[in-house]
Order: sequence, then structure tokens, then C-alpha cells
Amino acid sequence: MEYSEQMSNSLAARLRAGSRAAAAELVDIYYRQIYIFMRRLGHDSQTSEDLTQESFISAWQHISQLRSGRTLNGWMYQIAANVSRLYRRRHKGDEAVSIDGMDLPVGGESGSDKPANSEQVVRLKNAVAELPVKLRQAVVLHYLQHLTIAEAAETVGVRKGTLKSRLNRALGTLRSQIDS
Amino acid sequence: MSEERIEKLLNELAEATTEPVSPHLAEEIKNQIPQRLSPHRGGIDTVNIIIDLRISKLAAAAAIIITMLLFANFFGGRSGGSDGLLQSGRFLIKYCLGDIDADKGNVSAARLRYEYLSQKGEDVVYYGDSADPQDSNAVLIQWKLPDGRYKVVFGDLREETVLAEELVKLQARMLREKAK
Repeated sequence: MEYSEQMSNSLAARLRAGSRAAAAELVDIYYRQIYIFMRRLGHDSQTSEDLTQESFISAWQHISQLRSGRTLNGWMYQIAANVSRLYRRRHKGDEAVSIDGMDLPVGGESGSDKPANSEQVVRLKNAVAELPVKLRQAVVLHYLQHLTIAEAAETVGVRKGTLKSRLNRALGTLRSQIDS
Repeated sequence: MSEERIEKLLNELAEATTEPVSPHLAEEIKNQIPQRLSPHRGGIDTVNIIIDLRISKLAAAAAIIITMLLFANFFGGRSGGSDGLLQSGRFLIKYCLGDIDADKGNVSAARLRYEYLSQKGEDVVYYGDSADPQDSNAVLIQWKLPDGRYKVVFGDLREETVLAEELVKLQARMLREKAK
């Protein structure tokens, strides 16, 4: 769902003011995105559902951090990324860190010239899963979750330049993996 | 492989790594929205208002009288149209505070109204903490009416019923004013 900046600011203002209706609206806008984000960070489907719930519960507790000037996307994804990180810290070694768990249709839904592409997409998916955590997070946030550079940087708590540099390094690594 | 090609493949990967989300997930999360998201608490906050404003004993007494009037109104079974009472409260607070703090008087009268509506179970949102007390067009409180429109109380305590789109514009105006 596309939300204009004005709508997003209005929602943030109502959240700051403690509106339950705004909280429900936040769930409608973000629950799918956050679930998919968790899956793309490598959690299995059940864990992703749990972590999505945990992210929203954490969001209710941290509404005061949604200050004016902060983007709703940056705030919500930062909470989700923290929830995922804390989960991994608690369950070190219990769960594989990859996006392999997601069903990726090979040669599936998109057109006749796609099998070759799909093969490359599968290789790319594996290459993304093997990226170091920080680079993978940058790629997932910007290219897969479609956050802007500024929002992705806010999410991981770095400057825009740092995030751009991580993306460049990630793209370089992915390119060499696909070409090899 | 060019960077553009990798970016295109990442877009394809984004499309390929989406999956359906349990339809119950949103409802499960919404069920966990706490009754109160904001730090505002009825009753205790009434005392806090008096402390926050650092007003005289006379003004504090006036605030308590208004609270009692609001409760009398509530238990008397009259519905939300307590505009006259609100104005009377405003004049009382204004009288006690003097002209200098008249705007603060409006905010605290609006906050009493917020507490009253909140205890009535309305999904009411209070902006008085962040609104400019001197801005007569600032939205101090809002709540949703059964017909989907919103009732808004402004900085000068006038009340208007507005559509959701108009409310968004009013909030956007407030945010712009605040950013100045």
C-alpha cells in the first residue's frame, strides 16, 4: 500500500498522541512488510510470525522514540531489525542464517525468457544469503524491502554514506559471485 | 555483469521472495494493542496538570471544580456536547490564571475534555502536549464519530466536525507550523 508522506506524518502524529486506531492502521500497513523482512533476514515462517508480533509489541512500547522528523519506515524497520538481532543473540546457532527458507519459484511465473533469469535469481539469492550480516541487511532493506537510502541508513543506525558504501561492496561481491 | 543488471536481478529476487502471510496475523497483533498507548492517565493526570502548570491554589481549585462538573455531566447522562461547559471551564481557568496564561488555560481545559472522553471509551487523541498554545487553529483533541467523520477541538476551544481528508490537512498544517 502506497502511503503519501502527508498520510505517514499524520499517522505518526496520531501514534505519538496515543491513538489505538492509529496503532491498528500501523498494523495494517506494516505487518506483511515486517513478516517478509523477517523471512528475508533468514527466519523460518513460524519464527517470522512471532518476531513480527514482537516487533509491534516493541513498537507500542517505543512510541516516544517516534519523534518528529523520523520516518515511520525507519522507526518501524529499526525496531524489527533490533527484534531480529536480539532473537539471533538469544538463539545463537539454533537457526540457519539465510534466505533459503523462502520458496523461490524457478522458471515460474514470469515469461518465456525467464528460465535463464530465474537461474541467475536463484544464484543471486544464495549469494545474498552468504553476504556478511551488515551487507546482507543493507541489500535486504534497500533492494528487497525498497526502503530509500535515508530510511535504510536510519534503520541500521549509520550515515547515508556508510550505507551506500555497504551497498557498493555488496553489489561488487554479488557480481563476482554471479559471474564466477 | 553490470551493476544495473545486478540491480534488475535484485528486483526480480524481491518479487520472487514474497509469500502469503497468515490472514490471522494482523488480527492477532491488533488484539495486543494496549488500552493506552500514551503516557496520559485519567485521574492522576488531572493532578499532574495542576502540578505541571505550577498554578496558584485558586486555579488548582478551579481545575478540580471543572473536573467535578465534567464528572457530573458524565453521570448525568448527557452526551458529548459539553461545549458550554468547556467554555465555562475555560473562562474559570482564564480568570484564575489571568490573561498571560489564558492559552495554557485552553490547553488544560482541552485536556480535561480529553480525559472525560477517554474515560467514556471514545478513541480520542490529545495533541495538547505538542501543540502551540497560542495557535488558535491548532488541533488540541480529536475523536472519531460513528459516521466516520471526526470531531476536532481547536486551540481556541471551538469545535468542528470534519472529514478524514480535512483532518489530515489540519494535522499537516500543524506539523508545518511546528517545523517553522
